[in-house]
Amino acid sequence: MEELADFAVDFAQRLGVDYAEARFQVDYENLYVLRNGNPEAVSWTRRRGIGIRVMVDGAFGFASVNELEKSRVENCVKEAVSMARAASKTLKQPLKLSEEEAHEDSWKVEPKISFLDVSLEEKMGYLLEIDKRIADEQEIGVKIPQRLMELTEVITEKYFVNSDGAHISSWTPRVYFMAFLTAYEEGRTEQEFVERGEARGWEALKDWNLPELLVERSKLLGRIIREAQPPPRGKVDLVLGSQVVGLIVHESAGHPYEADRIFGREAAQAGESFLKADMLGQRIGSEVVNVADDPTLEHSYGFYLYDDEGVKARRRLLIKDGIINEFLHNRETAARMGIKSNASARANAFDREPIVRMANTFMLPGDHSFEELLEDIRLGVYIKTFGEWNIDDRRYNMRFVGRECYLIENGELKGLVRRPILEVTTPGLYASIDALDGNLSFEAATCGKGDPVQGIPVWHGGPNVRVRGIEVWR
Amino acid sequence: MELSELSSWVVSKGLELGADEVASIASYSYSRQIRFANNEVSITNNWDSVSVSILLKKNRRILVSSTTDISRESIEKLLRGMVDAASVVREHESYAPLPEGPFSYATLRGVYDDRVAELGEEAVDYVEAAINSALEAGAERAAGTLTATRLQYSLSTSRGVSATHRKTGISLMVRALADGEAAGMGVSCGASLKDFRPEEAGGKAGELARMSLKVVQADAGKYTTVLGRPAAAVFFDIVAGMASAFYVDSGLSCFTDRLGEQVASETVYVYDDPLVEDGLGSTPFDDEGLPTKRNTIIESGVLRSYLHNSITAKRHGKKSTANAGWIAPHAWNIIVESGNYGDEELISEVKNGLFVNNMTYVRFQDYRAGDFSTIIRDGVFKIENGEIVGAVRRLRLSDNVLHMLKHVRALSRYSQQISHWWMEWGTPSVWTPQLLIEDVNYTLPAR
Repeated sequence: MEELADFAVDFAQRLGVDYAEARFQVDYENLYVLRNGNPEAVSWTRRRGIGIRVMVDGAFGFASVNELEKSRVENCVKEAVSMARAASKTLKQPLKLSEEEAHEDSWKVEPKISFLDVSLEEKMGYLLEIDKRIADEQEIGVKIPQRLMELTEVITEKYFVNSDGAHISSWTPRVYFMAFLTAYEEGRTEQEFVERGEARGWEALKDWNLPELLVERSKLLGRIIREAQPPPRGKVDLVLGSQVVGLIVHESAGHPYEADRIFGREAAQAGESFLKADMLGQRIGSEVVNVADDPTLEHSYGFYLYDDEGVKARRRLLIKDGIINEFLHNRETAARMGIKSNASARANAFDREPIVRMANTFMLPGDHSFEELLEDIRLGVYIKTFGEWNIDDRRYNMRFVGRECYLIENGELKGLVRRPILEVTTPGLYASIDALDGNLSFEAATCGKGDPVQGIPVWHGGPNVRVRGIEVWR
Repeated sequence: MELSELSSWVVSKGLELGADEVASIASYSYSRQIRFANNEVSITNNWDSVSVSILLKKNRRILVSSTTDISRESIEKLLRGMVDAASVVREHESYAPLPEGPFSYATLRGVYDDRVAELGEEAVDYVEAAINSALEAGAERAAGTLTATRLQYSLSTSRGVSATHRKTGISLMVRALADGEAAGMGVSCGASLKDFRPEEAGGKAGELARMSLKVVQADAGKYTTVLGRPAAAVFFDIVAGMASAFYVDSGLSCFTDRLGEQVASETVYVYDDPLVEDGLGSTPFDDEGLPTKRNTIIESGVLRSYLHNSITAKRHGKKSTANAGWIAPHAWNIIVESGNYGDEELISEVKNGLFVNNMTYVRFQDYRAGDFSTIIRDGVFKIENGEIVGAVRRLRLSDNVLHMLKHVRALSRYSQQISHWWMEWGTPSVWTPQLLIEDVNYTLPAR
């Protein structure tokens, strides 16, 4: 298949393109679904083919094919070229790509325990063991009548070649677990959504200790139903847990810093950004706020060493000491700003164009302890996890509703409070962060972007963070 | 190999290797897509795709697979793996056999258009027409997507089903901006070019964007709301998704345990119609081979039926509604019955309220209860004494699916087929009028 990808690029060049790349990619995905203790499905998906992207007369064309014969690949290239040519008449200026080093490399994430060495019996048995524990009303203390669990294993093989001379092969295993739980008592429900994911083999499951985690989360849902009181009203201080901080930075730092969004490319879909290209160097938050996106974190769910344009990956510091520092770029957006790409181009399958994506987005930890964050809070709420969440399409006005939350009174955690609601602006929130602890942790997610939507594996995370003077509603 | 030969070979191979039942769908699709932004094409996408999906049952176990590696060797290997796995997986609690065929199917009209199937570089002309229309109507910039697809698929099952269908689809979404926040949206779609009007979609988007330049204040609180068709389509995409018995049984639906209940006002009539001419989701047979048919979901506000496949039907003690989805049943084309009002008339009925053209980023606080909030955009206006007085910014709609359904008071006469990016529950199309809904709740962020 490597020869076919090489051939695609050569053939495109013979047709007179400005640039060409081909990506042969196979994704083997196995999904196990357990619904209320019933093995709903064992599902295997194999996505395999070649995606070709060309630049012709300054316009981009993408085409993909999965019947991997030379004549079909030739046709595929011709379609990409002819459609790009037709589209170029709409451009006021030709699109450009930044100049990048052409790498020749091969990398692999080696699992300690391969998925293939773990029997299906063991995998389903593991899910059934978790389900049995959380369905046990005696142990959990509340009915969990609806329990949806999914375990996904993916192996992604890629071969990338472009007309600059890059040749990069990679092999990455990923494992992902999701549970959606509904607790029910006397007409009241509480729901919880748990996600874990890493670029690792089966050994990740052991570290996640899912049975104990799900038991703990289930018990908590019962306690929320029975014990949680209304949250305090008005302006209070908050401590936000890692899960919440991770989501906040993903949605209000990661997404609006995607340079293609800033330039309007996603305007019809997820939207644009409150940031403009000339806002680099401006203040967005307090001095303690640092936000990074880093594909190279070992075993992270969003891990990669080269992006899908063949550019070498590195950490990107989006916010440094509260200042807008760096955007996420591909070669097209980087060229527009006269800089080098920082390797943010990702595609989730062979038949998708690479676009600017996050990898693992997180707030950098600080030097407080968790207790120190609480110490001088007279009245506040510790929002450890969230339920409902959304943000406007310029990533400016966010809302979230807390799930596991505790009253803070005179520096101490007191009882559970129910569904505090926050609606705040991005700068308003970031300016009000005044301390962070050292407990950095991550959660996995599948981030959606693009048309057609591409779900891409990411981590988001952070430490626990203190925020001063935020309005809370019920 | 012909698609029907391929799907039927998969079935016989699966049986030969030891399966009790096999169903296979072999499909070929060719799609072209043009993405545009800032009045220019960002990229053209072309997808040439052959794929095979397999449902295999053995000893009351159920496995599914899907592959784009369609060599015989690769499919045989996949089938062997599935048969082996069946000896390990636990028995399905609601196991049901595939329906016994053969069946005869309706002939659908208006679902294959050669002009859509052969659409090439002239697709760029449609995009230019939409952009120009938006600009002429007062926008500064237009963005969006045009997609044209031709699809052919063949279903074979070990219970005597052999069926083939082909269809086309064309879909345009335009978002126009008059400044960073003044935006409007227009949609045009269908199986054929019959009702495809790119200029109208662009013009509508541009007009709403221009109207959005004049901003007025609006406080948080409850408002009578007229939902534009793109917003109504998002809403009923959720209703259709939550009507799937899979989601009902998974805690992801507010319709759980509510069959026969009044879940909406008496003016609401929602049904699934897989046979409608020009429908993007139209199909004569479902994934288990059953002839598809119209299914009433909500009638005079009463929840009449979930959407079922054979498995969920067995679990609920019903018959399949021919909405397979082997695992999760789903709708084909959702139709919301229209009412008696003209579009302007509906707005003139509102003393103090809002017009909301689009709902995006819907997220649930509690799926079982139906509590959610959504970012409203692309034409959000204050209505005072029956007239639009200006655009509103920053409001977020925060309400409950059942509450909104119960407060539908009127519907417009004119209905349109809608399909766009924010319909996240996956219904192929929703045909909907505009709706007037009372007592809808809105919130504002803290300053």
